[in-house]
Amino acid sequence: MHWYFMYISSMVYSTELLKGTLKTIVLKLLADNKKMYGYEITQRVKEVTGDKIQITEGALYPTLHALEADKLVTIEVEYIGKRVRKYYSLSPTGKARAKEKVSELSSFIQTMTVLLDLKTKSI
Amino acid sequence: MATLTDEQVDFIARAIRAHGIRLEGLQDNLLDHICILVEQGMEQGGNFEELLAKVFRSCYRENLYELEEEALFLASVKGPRLVLSRTRFFWLLIGVFLLPFVLYFQLAFFHCLPTNFDVMPAVFLRWYLVGSVWPLLSLLVIFFTPERFDPLIPRHAKILLGGGSLIRVFRYEACEVSA
Repeated sequence: MHWYFMYISSMVYSTELLKGTLKTIVLKLLADNKKMYGYEITQRVKEVTGDKIQITEGALYPTLHALEADKLVTIEVEYIGKRVRKYYSLSPTGKARAKEKVSELSSFIQTMTVLLDLKTKSI
Repeated sequence: MATLTDEQVDFIARAIRAHGIRLEGLQDNLLDHICILVEQGMEQGGNFEELLAKVFRSCYRENLYELEEEALFLASVKGPRLVLSRTRFFWLLIGVFLLPFVLYFQLAFFHCLPTNFDVMPAVFLRWYLVGSVWPLLSLLVIFFTPERFDPLIPRHAKILLGGGSLIRVFRYEACEVSA
């Protein structure tokens, strides 16, 4: 129906599973690292998930823009010749939101584990 | 590590702007991202023009502007909101114009109108009919206009009602993808 496949691509997980988790992923990465720029975030996700999840620029930058508009991140700018590199770090509100989102997702995963009986059944 | 010249960076920046990206922050982010990918390709012996075209194509499906639409959409969805498809939006508008007629005739059908209520509503209904013909026709024309004539609300557009702005039209389906 929509173009989610171009925003987060994965060879393993369906886009339906990944939908809605991008903000949490970005917030958590920024919480774990002092500051990161866009390309670095995409590479970190790729590296940590062993290429199972790849965040494209089409997904990442609109999300970073939304986080900036919500004042959840602060920006530091570095000039590299004629181009600007924007480093993102969490604001105090962003740190609190990151905890909330991770906790919410963790609770959801636990609920799904119980609901689908994943601990006892092997699929 | 291959490094792009100032002219090449300027060329990419112009290309990003030419694709309709107006948000300065998004321009900076895309410029840096694309430059990194092109530099990596050049490191492996690739050609600047070919790499740039390939990287650009990988960023979007139809137009790079999709990213700006998505950024604006995500930044504007605050509070109660309703996201409608083009068809549903038009049915909603047409329904708003047709609702008084439907209600009036339903009340008349079930004899619910007060006995001395027939003069005033009939006059009101006639004027309402005259007044609503033009908006209804306009709506139908816009609804059935082929995409190639660039209608106000293109097919596959999403219409955001509420969420910080009264009505906002997003041309691409990329909206509504993130949390």
